[in-house]
Amino acid sequence: MKLTLKIWRQQNNQAKGHFETFEVSDVSKDMSFLEMFDVLNERLINEGKEPIAFDHDCREGICGACSMYINGRAHGPWHETTTCQLHMRAYNDGDTIVVEPWRASAFPVIKDLTVDRSAFDRIIQAGGYISVNTGNAVDANAIPIDKTDADHAFAAAACIGCGACVAACKNSSAMLFTSAKVSQLALLPQGDPERKQRAMDMVAQMDKEGFGSCTNTGACEAECPKGISLANIARLNREFIAAGFSSEA
Amino acid sequence: MKWSQFFNTSIGKKLLVGATGLFLCSFVIVHLAGNLSLLKEDNGEAFNIYAAFMGHNGLIQFIAWGLKIVILLHAIIAIQLTIRNRAARPVKYAVRPGNKTSSWYSRQMAVMGSILFIFIVIHLSQFWWAMHYGDLNTVSYNGAAPIGNLYEAVWFAFKELWIVALYVIGMIALSFHLIHGFKSACQTFGLNHKKYNGILHFIGVWIFGILIPVGFAVIPVVIYIKQI
Repeated sequence: MKLTLKIWRQQNNQAKGHFETFEVSDVSKDMSFLEMFDVLNERLINEGKEPIAFDHDCREGICGACSMYINGRAHGPWHETTTCQLHMRAYNDGDTIVVEPWRASAFPVIKDLTVDRSAFDRIIQAGGYISVNTGNAVDANAIPIDKTDADHAFAAAACIGCGACVAACKNSSAMLFTSAKVSQLALLPQGDPERKQRAMDMVAQMDKEGFGSCTNTGACEAECPKGISLANIARLNREFIAAGFSSEA
Repeated sequence: MKWSQFFNTSIGKKLLVGATGLFLCSFVIVHLAGNLSLLKEDNGEAFNIYAAFMGHNGLIQFIAWGLKIVILLHAIIAIQLTIRNRAARPVKYAVRPGNKTSSWYSRQMAVMGSILFIFIVIHLSQFWWAMHYGDLNTVSYNGAAPIGNLYEAVWFAFKELWIVALYVIGMIALSFHLIHGFKSACQTFGLNHKKYNGILHFIGVWIFGILIPVGFAVIPVVIYIKQI
């Protein structure tokens, strides 16, 4: 396959970026999207040019590092698929593919296609944890948990924090991410003691980072590689309303 | 979290937009029910008596002013959120997904809302202003005290095709605004549950999104056709 790639190049956060066009040939349909980038980068290095910077880690679709906005879609055209699991059979000979970094003021570009997603870390630090005292390990299954709640918590915990929800949202809202993190803890007894403070603190941090607000368009759910549901956003809203209305401070 | 902090968060602001929006949804039902009397073949008696009641009852006047404040609040907070949302993406994408990941009307709430706002201003200046501060002809039914003949003014206005078109456009904007708006407000209030999503979808799309805007739009169209 022969493809034309238009890739966003940006030297650093301060520099002005631009699109650079590359022609790649001999692309196999069995290559992953990132492997195609590896081949292109090898060529660039051999030619003495700077390779394209992009994030990747596990290449198994579970780490959430790869973050390309491909032809207007977060992680490309396949449903519930990360960029590393997107394969070149999604494309045809002669296609032009435009690759951009996640675009959000809360995710500043570091270089080319890599963005700084530490805003997500700070949202987690604001309350996305449970405080566990030290001591002996508690017996497994000592606390009964409703099966439906366990299933919903598990589904929410599937979030890999990749940022596709922010990238796909027209408002760059981080509500799907934050709601998944709030949900997975709010549904379980271990998360219960801190649930109100957690909802308030994580929402406050999310706002502070400069993410937009949710207008319920559903683009995040459509693009989430882990199929996180909008029901989590409704749950976050309920958690936040309950916390805000009942807090005494 | 103090109330001032609560309502300054993104979710707090969205709750205000949702609450005012749902209040406005309840208003359109009442407004349509009253307006349908325009189509009654009684030369305006039912409509004029209804309009006179709405225009002079103290409680309804209080709610009517509240309604205008609610519309402004809804618009102002939504504009605040929109400005913030636009600022959250300073560099736009070169390629966008179009309607592949979301419906166009869910993304264009601000545009639909702006069209509606312009429509409401025109609509109020046409009829509400005429009712309260204009010089309507008066009419008397069954020997009662004379009341303003708003019915006549409405029929006169809808002789003009462009005014009818303006109202139809306004109602198309209302339709798309509410198809997304009702469900969106429910979601903001946390109403999302497998068992009830179907009925919320039905109410949002078929009642608020289609039945009510079509009901409103039918009035000027029928009055125009009757006068050709």
